[in-house]
Amino acid sequence: MPASIFYSFLICLPLLLNGKTHWSLIPPERPSSGKSIDDFITKKLSEKGLKKSKEVPKRILIRRVYLDMLGLVPTPGEVAAFVLDKREHAYERVIEKVLKNPSYGERWARHWLDVVRYADSAGFETNHERPNAYHYRDYVIRAFNEDKPYDQFVFEQIAGDTVGQDAATGFIVAGPKDIVGGKDPLLKKQQRANELADMVGVTGSAFLGLTVGCARCHDHKFDPISQVDFYSMQAIFEGVQHGDRNIPLTAKQKQRLDEMTTEENDLRARLKKFIPVVDGKRLGVPVNFKRNLENFDPVEVRFVRFTTEVTNNNSEPCIDELELWTPGKDPKNAALGAKLTSSGDYANNPKHKLAHLNDGKYGNERSWISDQKGKGWAQLELPESTTIERIEWGRDRTGRYKDRLPTKYRIEVATEPNKWKVVAGSQNRKPFDKGETEDPVYDFANHQEAEAEQGRAWQAKLKELQTKRADLQKMNKAYTGTFNQPAPTRVMYRGNPLAPRDVVAPEGLSALKPLLKPLDLKPDAPERERRIAFARWLTHPKNPLTARVMVNRIWHYHFGRGLVATPSDFGDMGFRPTHPELLDWLALEFMKNGWSVKHMHRLILHSKTYRQASLPRKDGLAKDAGSELLWRFPPRRLEAEAIRDNALLLAGGLDRKMYGPGFLLFVPNSNYARNWVAKDDFKPEDMRRMIYTMRIRMEQDSIFGAFDCPDGGQAAPNRSRSTTPIQALNLYNSGFMADLSKRFAKRIAEVAGEDPGKQIGRAYAWTFGRSPQGEETKETLAYLEEHGLPALCRVLLNANEFLFLQ
Amino acid sequence: MMLPQPENLSPAGSSLLNRRDFLRRSGTAFGGMALAGLLADDHLLGSPIRPEIHPDRPFSARKTHFPARAKQVLVIYCTGAVSHVDTWEHKPELFRRHDTPMPGAINTFQGENGNLIKPIRDFKARGTCGKMTSDLLPELGSLADDIAFIHSLTSKTNTHGPGETFMSTGFILEGFPSMGAWSTYALGTENEDLPAFVSIPDPRGNPQASINNWSNAFLPAQFQGTPFSASKKIRHLFPPDKFAGKTDSDGRDLLKRINERHLQKYPGDSELAARIAGYELAARMQMSIPEVTDLSKEPASILKEYGADDTKNKDRAGFARNCILARRLLEKGVRFVQLFNGSYAMGEGVGNWDGHKSIEAQYPGHAHILDQPAAALIRDLKTRGMLDDVLVVWCTEFGRMPTFQKGASGRDHNPAGFTGWLAGAGVNAPYSHGATDAFGWKAEQDIATVHDFHATILHLLGLDHERLSYYHNGINRRLTDVHGHVIKEILA
Repeated sequence: MPASIFYSFLICLPLLLNGKTHWSLIPPERPSSGKSIDDFITKKLSEKGLKKSKEVPKRILIRRVYLDMLGLVPTPGEVAAFVLDKREHAYERVIEKVLKNPSYGERWARHWLDVVRYADSAGFETNHERPNAYHYRDYVIRAFNEDKPYDQFVFEQIAGDTVGQDAATGFIVAGPKDIVGGKDPLLKKQQRANELADMVGVTGSAFLGLTVGCARCHDHKFDPISQVDFYSMQAIFEGVQHGDRNIPLTAKQKQRLDEMTTEENDLRARLKKFIPVVDGKRLGVPVNFKRNLENFDPVEVRFVRFTTEVTNNNSEPCIDELELWTPGKDPKNAALGAKLTSSGDYANNPKHKLAHLNDGKYGNERSWISDQKGKGWAQLELPESTTIERIEWGRDRTGRYKDRLPTKYRIEVATEPNKWKVVAGSQNRKPFDKGETEDPVYDFANHQEAEAEQGRAWQAKLKELQTKRADLQKMNKAYTGTFNQPAPTRVMYRGNPLAPRDVVAPEGLSALKPLLKPLDLKPDAPERERRIAFARWLTHPKNPLTARVMVNRIWHYHFGRGLVATPSDFGDMGFRPTHPELLDWLALEFMKNGWSVKHMHRLILHSKTYRQASLPRKDGLAKDAGSELLWRFPPRRLEAEAIRDNALLLAGGLDRKMYGPGFLLFVPNSNYARNWVAKDDFKPEDMRRMIYTMRIRMEQDSIFGAFDCPDGGQAAPNRSRSTTPIQALNLYNSGFMADLSKRFAKRIAEVAGEDPGKQIGRAYAWTFGRSPQGEETKETLAYLEEHGLPALCRVLLNANEFLFLQ
Repeated sequence: MMLPQPENLSPAGSSLLNRRDFLRRSGTAFGGMALAGLLADDHLLGSPIRPEIHPDRPFSARKTHFPARAKQVLVIYCTGAVSHVDTWEHKPELFRRHDTPMPGAINTFQGENGNLIKPIRDFKARGTCGKMTSDLLPELGSLADDIAFIHSLTSKTNTHGPGETFMSTGFILEGFPSMGAWSTYALGTENEDLPAFVSIPDPRGNPQASINNWSNAFLPAQFQGTPFSASKKIRHLFPPDKFAGKTDSDGRDLLKRINERHLQKYPGDSELAARIAGYELAARMQMSIPEVTDLSKEPASILKEYGADDTKNKDRAGFARNCILARRLLEKGVRFVQLFNGSYAMGEGVGNWDGHKSIEAQYPGHAHILDQPAAALIRDLKTRGMLDDVLVVWCTEFGRMPTFQKGASGRDHNPAGFTGWLAGAGVNAPYSHGATDAFGWKAEQDIATVHDFHATILHLLGLDHERLSYYHNGINRRLTDVHGHVIKEILA
């Protein structure tokens, strides 16, 4: 048989061989019998002659629910309260309590971030951090906590920018990106093609549970996904580029920013008297690269001219923005819209244009450069005479570039052509130094001690405000991608970016055509419309995959294994569902209840299936060793994050601060190709939950990374769960764990006092949620007496009972 | 064929790879056996062979797919892209056409290219086979009789990070298991007191693609390479001082009792048992690792032979010590040892073979560090009879251009043709396979891919590269992706 015919035969395999469509592409049907999770589970078990296990003791149940839902163990008090609560709805109250606990969002967002290959660095050889990626992580945490309807959650991740949920589109660009820009055109095309394939691949796997990415070079070998389907889906994302996008600050953030600016100006005014007087003049601060202020008495201007005479490196001077500020409480930048002329402009570089001088945008990318080495002038002509009292300008407001800075310059104004009057210039400043700081050098030495003290305090306050303001201003940058109208998408022969073939229009999967109306877009459809239409297609109630895939994920994280054991592959290579009717029932229940994820949690947590003991039974092991049919709750080791979070929690050191920029477990560095070295000294801000670490691709936390912690290089919808000696070394020997053991011991002693019996009672209650028993008590006491409480805590934090969900 | 027991498979493997189940599901409209034959012939679905992994002894030695020629692997990985025209592949035409334009010049990674430039050192005939190699690496060259060169390797990328990743994992993208992870996943190891797969970073730091080179990716974490070197120890190998000594050992005893008591409630739970075993192996590693990394008992003659006594060049002495460590690990039965020459931390070409700017200034230094220690290592393995079992792989991520870059005295990246070589167990030597064009630019004779290189290495280990696979996100993943042919001429 010729290969090509054989290939086409294979593509049709799922359709041909059974004479019917693949199971996951058939819409879910309400099963004829079965009204609850337990009905379906019991039915399958009885077919195998098995029964469910008895209900787990309450003490273990509450620990299971806390670890599963919050990723944190309950306190002994919470355990005791539940055990003693004999009221009818005691368990329901626990469930409602954990569903309201914001730690829930942190726990379940981590699962979602695995599914969508989220990380806080670019990957590849440079592996630069993405300091603004966390907005998406925060969005996901909030979405889970608010129980955002899943269809809306999906829509927003594809097209959130169209509904005021900008952070959500961080999903599209959460993957790795090769930022090395070689000059080889093939390399560039390959890089771009890889980016797009990443977006298509993750969209297919995360929402549809299909390995669409497999159809990049040829039609999918096992599922009805053609190569045209792949490129039609690529057309949805063709206009998406990696990068930061400005997202609006909240009203609260804006207000805070205004307050800080006022405070800063006030402090500067007060500090003015500490500026040293030289030759009878108070000289201003030397020019700096980022932002320079020129204050003068209010003056009426029609023309403003900035003339450079010398630059710091003798290159052509560069100004990224020249702002003319009006006086008063609500100052305006009068430069916007002014007419521009210059002595000459840097040629042929789209980044550097005269028009960029007053376009309201900062940074080298939007700047003006003169065409003469070391000098040149630029002039603004306002539509009408305007009073100004301050000019602001900079070389590169983003602080990246340290060249082309005017160090000798003058600023002149006029109301009539050529009647110039100098209002500011380098003669009013101290000579150029390093250009690093935008604040004057204050001299406190020539003042009385009390006054100087006050001045230093003001200065310290000013610095603190500046840092805070810079942090806040950065908050509006989010790594959520940028959108541009793209050229039409073409199929690439064998996935080779140099072999374009037919143009394709943005479209969903053709295999779902019988169920869902096609998008019906033109190849040149507006960029936004593509994503909107596709997001609607994804979340249409008739889409047979979206709801099924998500309820299966929820099941997967509750029980450690999905009804479909390959959570991101519902295709022919994936597993068949163990309980197809239950999966359908759950999917319909999900949609009927407004796609509420919390509703699904309630259904599962309330079930007898979930509340079973996890202990092994001979009959169960003999017939179903993997516990796939759920004759018991399958026990499993906790994930890296839960181990770290709980160790910190027990040590009393877990910082519960939510949201915002993450913390770094590596030594910061600015090498072109980042050299990420794990750090050994941890600061208080490193003690937050592990979801707030900046996840660096290709690197692992030096202690917990070994616990199968994915790095975001690939989607990890089903983490492996391995056991290695390195895990043992890390947990038993690391300085971090030793420190936590010490802190845990201190915390125990604070509560239990000196009495060894009380100490081990408290230690067991906190670590295992129970008291020590029999022989164990003796052994533990003996060890405690000989080696002390910190050493004992170290042992307990390594115990299986602490590390396993049971 | 070794038939895996379904209960020992990963969950993903067990249903998916049960061929009977597959054929039952798909065999209704077509003769099941006929289909099976068809699929096997075309190697489209293959029939993956899953290693039988005992959870509490994940590293126990396992069967090969067919008799192996090599039992262990030593990879000498020179990072930064070694210029093949300045080392292994002799191009007389390049001497003749020195400083003349190259026909068909193109833009490469850093832009325009200048003239063809002859190798920075002369070539001489070496060994009894008379193989022409460069004076830049005379010691390694002198081993030519033991080496099978592949002069026609090609890469898919001209960027270092992806290139390194490609050479180690078969993919230019991240997130795929490395050759060592695949090998130890398939074969386990001969010495369960040491990690099965050890990566030895250069004394100057990690290579550019760092962990990608020894990552387990989606394979279970047991099969990740453990990075340490003669100078950089395993982290957390020993307890902090305040918990050392009896506190430590008694603590381990107590932990074992607590865990065993817990296990009594979960009889036969392999995951819990594996964790108990993990602490025991960790304890054994506290003995075995210091022993294997302690070079103090190596005789002065060995130190001298390797260049480990070099007091003038600490990078060279450091690399030489790593070479000795590699031999000691192989002696102890470690399955896969990856020895790096070159790091990225210092920037372009300073600590590795990336010679863009001034190859004459950069290469002699790198060659000095590599040549004697690596050659001594191979000679030592041979003297001890270890080359009967150990396959030596020398590789780099891609080659360099026969031209100099415009306005520079160095060579740009060249993925179109470069050299790698094999020596030792099962290798046909002396032998030279394939060639680039007259100048050393593009592979043109017996073109080989990195996938072919991998397929050949796995073959020597007794593994069929098409059947060594692992199900991940919808695909049976292989080291060789969907490519690769064993280079038969390389096999002894």
